Amino acid sequence: MASRPLFTLTGSPLAGKYGPRTGRIDIDRQDGTSILQTDTPALLTATSRGVVPHLSRDNVHLTKAIHHIQLPFESFLDRNPPVLTLVEGTQPLHTFLGFDPNKHAITLTLRDPSDGRKMPPNGNDFVSAHCTRGVRKVSPSAWKSYVSKCKPDLVVALSDTPFTPAPHSQKRLTKSIERSIAWLADILRVPLPDEAITRPRNVLVHLAGGVEAEARSEFAERLTEPIEQRDAPGLSPPLNTLDDGVAGYVFDLQPLHAAFSAEASRTNSSPSPANELLHSSDRQRSSPETSIALVELLHASLDPLPADKPRIINSPVSPHEILRLVRDIGVDLIDGSWAQRAADIGIALDFRFPTPTDTSCANAPVPRARANGKRDLGHNLFDALYRHDRSRLASCFLDGQSASSAVPPPHGLPVCECHACSPRSPASRILHSSVDSQAWADVRPYALQPPVMRSYVHHLLHTHEMSSHALLAMHNLTALSRFFAGVREVIARGGQEEFEREVERFETTYDEGMALWDEAERMWLEVERARGKGRLSREREKQAASMIGTAVDL
Amino acid sequence: MQFEVLAKCHTTRARVSRMRLAHGVTMLPTFMPVATQAAIKGLTPQQVEALGVNLILNNTYHLNLRPGIEVLKEAGGAHKFQGWNHNLLTDSGGFQLVSLSKFTKITEEGALFASPFDGEPTMLTPEESISIQHAIGADIIMQLDDVVPSLTVGPRVEEAMWRTVRWLDRCINFHQKSGRDDVQNLFAIVQGGLEPDLRDKCLDEMITRKDRVAGYAIGGLSGGEEKDIFWRVIKQCADSLPEDRPRYSMGIGFAEDLLVCVALGVDMADCVFPTRTARFGVALTRNGPLNLRLGKHATDMRPIEEGCPCPTCSSGTTRALLNHTATLETAAAHAITQHNLVFQARVMGGAREAIMSGTFPQYLKDFFSNYFGDAGYPGWCVNALKSVGVDLLEGRPDTKVIPGDGAKWEYSDAA
Repeated sequence: MASRPLFTLTGSPLAGKYGPRTGRIDIDRQDGTSILQTDTPALLTATSRGVVPHLSRDNVHLTKAIHHIQLPFESFLDRNPPVLTLVEGTQPLHTFLGFDPNKHAITLTLRDPSDGRKMPPNGNDFVSAHCTRGVRKVSPSAWKSYVSKCKPDLVVALSDTPFTPAPHSQKRLTKSIERSIAWLADILRVPLPDEAITRPRNVLVHLAGGVEAEARSEFAERLTEPIEQRDAPGLSPPLNTLDDGVAGYVFDLQPLHAAFSAEASRTNSSPSPANELLHSSDRQRSSPETSIALVELLHASLDPLPADKPRIINSPVSPHEILRLVRDIGVDLIDGSWAQRAADIGIALDFRFPTPTDTSCANAPVPRARANGKRDLGHNLFDALYRHDRSRLASCFLDGQSASSAVPPPHGLPVCECHACSPRSPASRILHSSVDSQAWADVRPYALQPPVMRSYVHHLLHTHEMSSHALLAMHNLTALSRFFAGVREVIARGGQEEFEREVERFETTYDEGMALWDEAERMWLEVERARGKGRLSREREKQAASMIGTAVDL
Repeated sequence: MQFEVLAKCHTTRARVSRMRLAHGVTMLPTFMPVATQAAIKGLTPQQVEALGVNLILNNTYHLNLRPGIEVLKEAGGAHKFQGWNHNLLTDSGGFQLVSLSKFTKITEEGALFASPFDGEPTMLTPEESISIQHAIGADIIMQLDDVVPSLTVGPRVEEAMWRTVRWLDRCINFHQKSGRDDVQNLFAIVQGGLEPDLRDKCLDEMITRKDRVAGYAIGGLSGGEEKDIFWRVIKQCADSLPEDRPRYSMGIGFAEDLLVCVALGVDMADCVFPTRTARFGVALTRNGPLNLRLGKHATDMRPIEEGCPCPTCSSGTTRALLNHTATLETAAAHAITQHNLVFQARVMGGAREAIMSGTFPQYLKDFFSNYFGDAGYPGWCVNALKSVGVDLLEGRPDTKVIPGDGAKWEYSDAA
């Protein structure tokens, strides 16, 4: 049966291979019936230990922004066999992790692409992965069997990206290319017929080569070369090239940014964050210069390859960077981990694309303007500024209740549909006895509620309450998803020219230095130290004191 | 407040009632989850409502520090601030003053303590406590009481009891003059330590003020006293308190404690236990608590509890996934918190159902049989329920009785 391709370009064909583009991702069942269709450029939601950080299942399902999910496998290596491989059924990942096969497409990767920590070297036949019990070596054959059991919608072939200290030698890069090619061939190779393993659908390949344009070209060219005879028997239905078996291309930006800043720090010795609460990627920043360098590297990879396969970007660090990659490359699925990380450190996103013509807003303070005249991308709700701020999280979006009121405010603002800005009372409530209906007789189900106030989230952040991050995670994912909707609209409506104009307007309106992030991170760390560190042991004492004789062993 | 008893157990002192407050109707007996800082740990107010919970507790001491009364007033009260449309109860702040501050000194005027902001001596008077609770705007507010640790003996206990009675009068006067007494309901707190004669004196005094209080709490317990003394104090108070006022047992949260209290005539209880223990990975079930961090759950594809209607179990979340995420992802704490609150609500909802249908004694027997099973019943529960006509051991000659508290918990992988 011929199922549809994973990706279809929509809209008017581009003059060249690069430039802003819209498309559609179709996830089909084995029988070809459609499960999920998403328009691109689109958001790829990051997960940690199999869950969207801070979101319980009901909140994941309330967050309509979540369609594409990136699932790093490595946290599950702390048990052998990994528990994900023990789940029965046709959609084991969805079943186990609580995602909806009709709404959520899962992309399985071995490593968390935002994790840039130093790792022991990879070998000729293994990748070093990280789990709570330490480093685990994962061989291509192990990966293939995991994938075969997990049946993800999309899967990224193993890739040899060194996380040993930079710089990496020419020899190392050559090795990286050889291994990555071999490992891709391995996952595409259909095994012996008596095994119950089938070739995974939708294999994505990470385009290797690091920050060497030549190495990247070489890797890409290897993908398009006729397959060597010795590989051919296993690669059926016959593939003429490895690229024939590839459904899309992945770019991990984290190691590239790390290499850029390693180069920069040789001249400018800025210390890296020596704090276990911080990730190496937290301090990565973008600029027009880093984007130029990235675009050059991505072009080197994509030049030999066809244009009609989706391009997936992991760990971009700002919306500015995303816009420039959409403009200069044409990228299709973009990881939102930076916006999710912002929810960790107390930031509520408040920006739009295309940039609103009037950034003032009568009833909600807009983000602060920096000395360069550019606005912050959101609000650091740790800031004392928000102690008395009763407005909704984002000034450039309306809340659901105001929008639906009899006299809607005359802003013409789009509505933020997240559960913080447009909360609804539950559609139903659990009744625990036959008299409970009396308690809910007067309560309307599924009614819009007033938006969450900034002052409330400010309070929750300072009291180290987890609900703050749940609200911010839902909001930030929704704001980022709306950003991509804006990107698609501008491309569809005005094509390349208008898109370029809008990117320029965005760059002149919003601050890319992200000073807001540094401030929020500092305040977050303060509260984390005051209330987070030693919190568990303090609570353990409390619990022991309150449960004499019946204490649970913690 | 409208308070109506709908049904009484034919054997025990348990009863089902309907309590209408400014933010709706709550069916009693009920367990009240604690939102110390104006949020049930990790959840949104809509998630709490979905669990079938419509009465929660905020802590006055904490909210007075953060966000502060000014912010709450600007927001239009704590309900609006936290987006909670249903019933809310605040404590008086006195308990935390004593438990969280080493420097608190009780005088007749009020509780003198070092301000956490600047260390300056600050006085929390009964009037001030009520005034703060007015700004918070909870549907049920508590009098300021003179709290002494449960295990205190000697004249201090009697002094605290009488002072609590005097402070009740000051709270009543301030509350009635404020004009808030039609929307906020003041509860008295019965003190008197573990001494029956002091409890009796306190009950007498407080019952004479019945027309000016909406309900009664039983305070000064859950501080490490022997359970066999605990239940006798609860019984003594519940037996004396007026039929037409709700009775609230403060700081009670273990399932067996809840059911014993309900059988003795208690209508409301609160505790941080189910939400706190959830953050450590412990899920409550009818067959006893599960420590989901133990290795034996790592590949267990069952939900926490089959047939549980909570969002966690009904969406198929497995013990294996919770083992993978507990204490490492906040989302695991949320999932177990949702389950544990539903567990508490089911224990109490099941009690309501059984009382309505006249089967509460059997409900108690079934619960203890499932919850403790062969591990043995806590002796104090057996004694307490026998005092209201339920013999848990009837027809169970082989059931062990464990002296002391005897709760069955998962301790280790070996369990």
